[in-house]
Amino acid sequence: MKIVSNLLQDIEGIQIYYIIGLLLFFGLFIVILVRTMRMPNKEMEEIKSSILKDNDSEEIATS
Amino acid sequence: MENQKFYYDNKIVKLFVLATIIWGVVGVIVGLLIALQLAFPIFNLDLEFTTFGRMRPLHTNAIIFAFVGNAIFAGVYYSLQKLLKARMFNDILSRIHFWGWQLVIVLAAVTFALGFSTSKEYAELEWPIDILITIVWVTFGWNMIGTIVKRRVQHIYAAIWWYLATFLGVAMLHVVNSLELPISLTKSYSIYAGAQDAVVQWWYGHNAVAFFLTTPFLGLMYYYLPKAANRPIYSYKLSIIHFWSLIFLYMWAGPHHLLYQALPDWAQALGVTFSIMLIAPSWGGMINGLLTLRGAWDRVRDSAALKFMVVAVTAYGMSTFEGPMMSLKFVNQLTHFTDWTIAHVHIAGMGWNAGLVFGMLYWMIPKLFKTKLFSEKLANLHFWIATLAILIYAIPLYWAAITQWLMWHEYTPEGFLAYPNFLETLTQILPMYVIRIVGGTLFLIGFLIMVFNLYKTMKSGSVEDNELAEAPALVLQGKRNPLQETLHRWVERRGVRFSIWVFIVLAVGGAVEILPMIFIKSNIPTIESVKPYTPLELEGRDIYVSEGCHTCHSQVVRPFRWETDRYGEYSKIGEFVYDHPYQWGSRRTGPDLARAGFVGGPMYKNAAWHYNHFMNPQKMNEQSIMPKYDWFARKDLNLDLVPRKIRAMQMLGVPYPEGYDQIAVDDLKKQANEIVADLKESNIEVEPTKQIIAMIAYMHKLGRDIAPPPVEVVENKAPQKEITLLESAEDLDAAGKIFATTCVACHGADGKGIATFPDLTDDEWLKGNSPSEVYQSISNGNISKGMIPYKDQFSEKQITQLTSYILLKLNK
Repeated sequence: MKIVSNLLQDIEGIQIYYIIGLLLFFGLFIVILVRTMRMPNKEMEEIKSSILKDNDSEEIATS
Repeated sequence: MENQKFYYDNKIVKLFVLATIIWGVVGVIVGLLIALQLAFPIFNLDLEFTTFGRMRPLHTNAIIFAFVGNAIFAGVYYSLQKLLKARMFNDILSRIHFWGWQLVIVLAAVTFALGFSTSKEYAELEWPIDILITIVWVTFGWNMIGTIVKRRVQHIYAAIWWYLATFLGVAMLHVVNSLELPISLTKSYSIYAGAQDAVVQWWYGHNAVAFFLTTPFLGLMYYYLPKAANRPIYSYKLSIIHFWSLIFLYMWAGPHHLLYQALPDWAQALGVTFSIMLIAPSWGGMINGLLTLRGAWDRVRDSAALKFMVVAVTAYGMSTFEGPMMSLKFVNQLTHFTDWTIAHVHIAGMGWNAGLVFGMLYWMIPKLFKTKLFSEKLANLHFWIATLAILIYAIPLYWAAITQWLMWHEYTPEGFLAYPNFLETLTQILPMYVIRIVGGTLFLIGFLIMVFNLYKTMKSGSVEDNELAEAPALVLQGKRNPLQETLHRWVERRGVRFSIWVFIVLAVGGAVEILPMIFIKSNIPTIESVKPYTPLELEGRDIYVSEGCHTCHSQVVRPFRWETDRYGEYSKIGEFVYDHPYQWGSRRTGPDLARAGFVGGPMYKNAAWHYNHFMNPQKMNEQSIMPKYDWFARKDLNLDLVPRKIRAMQMLGVPYPEGYDQIAVDDLKKQANEIVADLKESNIEVEPTKQIIAMIAYMHKLGRDIAPPPVEVVENKAPQKEITLLESAEDLDAAGKIFATTCVACHGADGKGIATFPDLTDDEWLKGNSPSEVYQSISNGNISKGMIPYKDQFSEKQITQLTSYILLKLNK
């Protein structure tokens, strides 16, 4: 673990990780957002409905 | 393709359902008990096994890990098999998981009552049980991933992403936070100290909320809400976006539990920023849930299961807005250490978690037992009682939080704290605690109605332990064709790769926060005057930890004038470098103790006071709600463990001299004898090996190392100024109030003195009982006897009023 310690101590202003974290998040977020929004709607509808196809979803029956 | 026949394992689901119901009732009853203890201390039952400090972790663990935990497993085992069209991977793993988890719960209940606790919130269990949890958790994950691997569907549905994130997140959190050095079978020290321990603990603590109380429930929501409403989830795209955003952001938010405390600013800023950002993905989930019901609200009217789910999703939305707001530093001044946090977690716990569990059970049990719900009317009655209970529980606590916070920082026109005695701010909110009991009782009644309803439902049907089903075998699609398949759809059919991506996303936040705190020394500046605990102080600290004293008393003073005036100098990171584990606490039901050893400071009390207070707090102040700890004077310290503890501390970096473990017991006895001699001066006889001696030593260590040397007030030989006694009813009434909240702790309500403390109604005054002399005694105090200089807390007029009250009222 000494190597990790030395490595980190050599970094000026560890707070930079704060900024890196935010950039990392926003970068990934934008990529996921764009790619997800481009997914075809028809395919999405099929996935959404797939769990309802086992005849297990009728209304709650009461006595 | 030809269908394959297989059997769903319903028996394991039934076992987890039964465990959910049984432990749920137990958890709520223990919650009711501790609510009663806070309003009426008699409910501590004068037993060491049932004090608030021991029962509070029992309640939180019973609700989180026993009730909610079993509900998660019931929901996951039922839905996972249906979603993947496969039986669970291995029946033996399923049984090990179930019985192992129940064993953990029973061991937790027993060890908490016996006083074995690490004191780390929601991770209080000692190391052997931590290892057992790890084994059981890995069994669960192995079983789940094995089932994913042998599935009969191409893609993994959204609910299962959340289940995977739950498994991986909790595994990571539990292992990192539970790293501890065992001393004996029932005692260990956290390998982290002070601020490091605090960061790791709240990285764990906040993410226990995230990955035990949120992600699995979002998974359950994605399955059970569409099933109960018979409508597909509103937006699958939204589920993708909010899944990845939420699991990434949550891991960074932990430090918002430590705002204004002894933590580097960058870590606090990180926690606040990411907490605010969390609103977006959280509300993404809420919106997805609520909009699923578009066009199906007529079903909500008719179904108690759906009603509970709607309340659950709404409570989730409320809590995930409130949480980030509480993370704003200014708001956090109010919410932290007050009942606001308690109200917040109960809105989430009773609304979101319990609500979804109730909804799931009302929907699932008739399906599982192939019958109809016994009574929809009773289910609806349960719904309305539970919803009302949440309001009656939470509203008084918000009120209590605001009231107490306003009292904490209220100043008189002369610039003194308006309520210098902490107890005044507590007794003011006790009526709210009584109303809270009503809320808790209603919630329990609703729960019991559900138990009856579900019992009758189960009795009218039967579970098919091995339910026949069929589905075509899975033919793996092979490599991805980028033109036909999006990246996410590809990842969704690669279970192991999906898990690896989840792990990476989860690991980033924790690594960025924790590694710099551990490896970069400038984050933990040391203070030269801060010395390691003596063996006796360490023994006292261990008792403090195991009794759960942190559940009521914090040990960190925030840099606000209204805190430093009340408790003393604000806390610095370097003070806590030898604290394995840290003891900052998260709620002040009693005063902060960080400066309890600061001689001459506002929190200092002498040995005799502590002795009498531990023996019977209500004798010192009848409004106190602290339980008795009279067994401290009966129970002996375990001196055999002392050398081992010293060696463990040395291994963790505490700079005891080489070979100190060999003489540690001698040092302990020497210090203990000094305290015994001190107590003897107050006519208190106690053996030096009793626990109460170690507790007194520990109290006197807190804050002592950074305190300036005590300044004895020099006798003023000059003629004292004349004091004219104030005889008006208004003045005497004002003094009476101060006496009743402050002086009463040592001198009693009638001024005749409690235990060994001076009688103010006789003629034996150490420094005379003329008006001027009494004024001087109050004003300058008597530090060596434990009386602080009240000129720092009260104005000259108030001290004159007190002098008048003592001489005219008590001595009439």
